[in-house]
Amino acid sequence: MMDSPLSTHLAFTLGPVPISTTVLTTWGIMAALAAAAWAVTRRLTMRPGTAQACLELVVETIQGQIHDTMHTASTLFLPLIGTLFLFILAANWSSMVPGIEPPTAKIETDAALALIVFLSVVGFGIQARGLGGYLRSFAYPNLFLVPMNLLEQFTRTFALVVRLFGNVMSGVFIIAILLSLVGLLVPVPLMALELLTGAVQAYIFAVLAMVFISGAIEEKPSDAAQQQEDTAS
Amino acid sequence: MQIDWWTFGLQTINVLVLIWLLQRFLFRPVKAIIDARRDASEKLLADAEAARNAAQEAVAAIEARRKDFSKEGEAILAAAQATALTERANMLEQARQEAARIETEAHKILARERETQRHELEAQAGELAVVMARRLLDLLPADTVTAALLEALAQDLAALPAEARRELAAAERPVVVTTATALSADAQTAWQERLTQLLGKDARFTFGEDPGLIAGATLQGPHTLLRRNWRADLDRLGRSLTMPVPPSHE
Repeated sequence: MMDSPLSTHLAFTLGPVPISTTVLTTWGIMAALAAAAWAVTRRLTMRPGTAQACLELVVETIQGQIHDTMHTASTLFLPLIGTLFLFILAANWSSMVPGIEPPTAKIETDAALALIVFLSVVGFGIQARGLGGYLRSFAYPNLFLVPMNLLEQFTRTFALVVRLFGNVMSGVFIIAILLSLVGLLVPVPLMALELLTGAVQAYIFAVLAMVFISGAIEEKPSDAAQQQEDTAS
Repeated sequence: MQIDWWTFGLQTINVLVLIWLLQRFLFRPVKAIIDARRDASEKLLADAEAARNAAQEAVAAIEARRKDFSKEGEAILAAAQATALTERANMLEQARQEAARIETEAHKILARERETQRHELEAQAGELAVVMARRLLDLLPADTVTAALLEALAQDLAALPAEARRELAAAERPVVVTTATALSADAQTAWQERLTQLLGKDARFTFGEDPGLIAGATLQGPHTLLRRNWRADLDRLGRSLTMPVPPSHE
């Protein structure tokens, strides 16, 4: 008997707050990531061991991706992009643990991630270009496109949610169906494929977040024209 | 489709908390150690660069010092060569002077030896002359020769100034008449009378014999010596032969 992928399961209530299994799994993933990070980084040395070298490789790879995609300093965006990637990757791969349903297979989690990206785009855009500059970016390339640009902000955020939710949920759902129909070993290739899909989806989500933020902070020709007008006046 | 807004809100908070947690426990420390390693490697490279520059400067300094050493060595070598040349010149000069001195000394020695040989030859010649004179004298009667030479001695005595003759006659010691061959008693008496006639009756005489005179006689007073013998004549001839020949005037 399969539940609806849109339904949530209540684990327990904390006072008036219902704690779903998704939140509980997320807490477990958070604890595992934080504990692993703390365990490896508490004794960092100039001559790294295997674990430290792997961790440095991951961080430097994320930094390199940020730099290559955004063409800007990666320091400011590393915590956000790196956390998004690692959390989504860990959440997607958590489906390999028997009995665990990945949090990213629930739309609330994907929506929360997309909301953070949306707020980050707005926040970094205003930080980089100022409120006026950021608002003017919606009038690029001309004023008639303001509604379309505003709509794009929401549709691409919604696309983020649906893309991640659809891929992960469908993978989990298919594996669950196969497990219920044909037994234990048949879904293994699909589970391996799900590992790849989970990594790809984490990468896509992180890259799209970088693209959206980069688009918000990069200087538009209208900004240059406005700056020239300000200088002339 | 139903969205659990509690889950949505909690997940939003969870992701934000996770961002903070990973920033606190992962990204910041890893980035710090990467930056520290990069700084260390850059410092290491800078130190290596500085060490390389220092080494290059040291090499340049050593090279310069080596060149100085080379120049100094060349100067020392030149000075040594100059000193050696000077020393060689001095030694050659000293050797030349020494050779000249030795040559001079050799000439002197040779001259002395020649002089000695000449004297020896002269002595031998004198001896030979004496021998020849003796042999010639042996051909003549000795008394006749002695008488003739005594007569010549008497003439020499007579030719003396009167003062000298008086001094001879008044001498405390008798006048010594030495002949090459001993005179007989008669001959001594005859000659004592002959000489008394010339010096006066106060004069006293003693007669002696000296074969070294070869032939003839000598008369010797306190301050007077008269010689009429071949030895004296040979000596005089020898001296005249050894005297340098005066330049001829033609």
